Amino acid sequence: MINYFKTIYQVSKALLQGMAVTGRWLFQPAITVQYPDEKLTPPERFRGTLVFDKETCTACNLCVKACPTACISLEPYVDPATQKRIAKVNWYQIDFGKCNYCRLCEEACPTKPIKSVRHSHDYEWSMKERSEMFVKWKRDPSPVIADTPKDTGTKAA
Amino acid sequence: MATELIRIPGSDFQTEEMILNLGPQHPSTHGVLRVVLKIDGEVITAAQPDVGYLHRGTEKLAENRTYPQMLVISDRWDYLSAMSNNLIWCLAVEKLLQIEVPLRGDYLRVIMVELNRIASHLVFFGTYGIDIGAYTPFLHAFREREKILDLFEEVSGARMTYNYIRIGGVMADLPEDWIGKCRSFLEWIKPRFVEYDILLTENPIFKDRTQNIGIISKEDAISYAITGPNLRGCGISFDLRKDEPYCHYQDFKFDVPTGKQGDCWDRYWVRIQEMKESVKIVEQALDHLPTGVPNAKVPRIIRPPVGESYAQLEAPRGVLGIYCLSAGEDKPYRVHVRAPSFINLTILQKILVGMKLADVVAILGSIDIVLGEVDR
Ligand code: SF4
Ligand code: SF4
Repeated sequence: MINYFKTIYQVSKALLQGMAVTGRWLFQPAITVQYPDEKLTPPERFRGTLVFDKETCTACNLCVKACPTACISLEPYVDPATQKRIAKVNWYQIDFGKCNYCRLCEEACPTKPIKSVRHSHDYEWSMKERSEMFVKWKRDPSPVIADTPKDTGTKAA
Repeated sequence: MATELIRIPGSDFQTEEMILNLGPQHPSTHGVLRVVLKIDGEVITAAQPDVGYLHRGTEKLAENRTYPQMLVISDRWDYLSAMSNNLIWCLAVEKLLQIEVPLRGDYLRVIMVELNRIASHLVFFGTYGIDIGAYTPFLHAFREREKILDLFEEVSGARMTYNYIRIGGVMADLPEDWIGKCRSFLEWIKPRFVEYDILLTENPIFKDRTQNIGIISKEDAISYAITGPNLRGCGISFDLRKDEPYCHYQDFKFDVPTGKQGDCWDRYWVRIQEMKESVKIVEQALDHLPTGVPNAKVPRIIRPPVGESYAQLEAPRGVLGIYCLSAGEDKPYRVHVRAPSFINLTILQKILVGMKLADVVAILGSIDIVLGEVDR
């Protein structure tokens, strides 16, 4: 009988103590962020969507070899007049359905000072179909076909 | 004289054992785990864990990935403590290559792995509360974990798949004023442990639900090769950080908490204490962080000599090991992962027998498995 009341006492005490912890936090400013009205700034090293610079790329294939899921493909540009490969791409394609956002391609890329393929700070990006996940950049003279993710320019140059 | 028919009350009841499927889609199995339970009334007579729903064949994938590329895959084993996974892969490959990592690199690795241990145990703390029926600890735990993930995001660029610890060192040195942020986090989390004790550890309802439930005896723990907090909960002080130090763990002073009888509460308590020890380790590492470069010289294309290596470390869930066989190519010939969750899970079929159905979730939660690692 005594034990019975003892248990009731102990449990209600623990309950009140727990409520006290909750109560203390009740009057402190909220730590949640009301997305999408408020947004956090991603840190400097944030690995967001990949952006590609079709003019500086030298079509060296190092990023293709570095990628663990083989999601990059490219075609070097062949000068129609001389039939020679030059250090430019014809097109460059990333399959974002496979991408791990791992930065291995950016680290492998030899272009300086800005890497041709690099992570932006962009993370808001959605696709409705799998075919939209293939993002293709085409270098001039042919016009750009696929829509590219916008580079918000937050990444330091 | 007519014979009298004596009827025993209740003898015409039909009782039989029932088979109950727990999972694979069950919120308390922490992923896609199926446990086939045979129950007699409310008492469990047999339990059979059924794994493999999340199998991705990473050991096979390793055979056509180069060594740095495999790091990306290793993030996906135990996704709650990806730093440990990165580290063990690097340790195994460094053993093959005979590379010594500079002291600063080792200290950075220790900081990251221990912070990740706190984050991982916080998830356990929060979700275990939910399993038992307490929702508040979950919100507290995830608030703290968020801060750790922010620290990781700053240092590696990602929140869960870090790919930060690299072969020969780390991805990059710490960003500016990261140490200050880390210190203020450590100061911030210390009083939180007191709150956790009030909220859950000392709560009589929680104690009633977890004490003397799911007891693992020392002998069973050893014969089932249980490791990590589950083993230490039984009172066996075995911790690779002490017993076979890697990454200069011998430089740090910390205790190995052990439980008394190996019930759910002991396993829970060991994890809470380990978080406190991890805080101590990170503080010491920050205090004595050596200067210099964090990275060793690594060849551009990693082609280890023919040979094999086995490396192991104390991950938040137990001993994580990698066996790596190199045939002299730039890709491993064979990789085997000794996943602690997978091996700890096997004890389930032993300790569930004789328990009540209501305790299954409490016991399963206290083993603390991550299905990404169980199935690999
Ligand atoms: S981020 Fe990783 S997965 Fe994505 S394209 Fe680059 S190397 Fe490939
Ligand atoms: S993006 Fe960089 S690594 Fe890839 S082909 Fe172009 S220059 Fe080479």
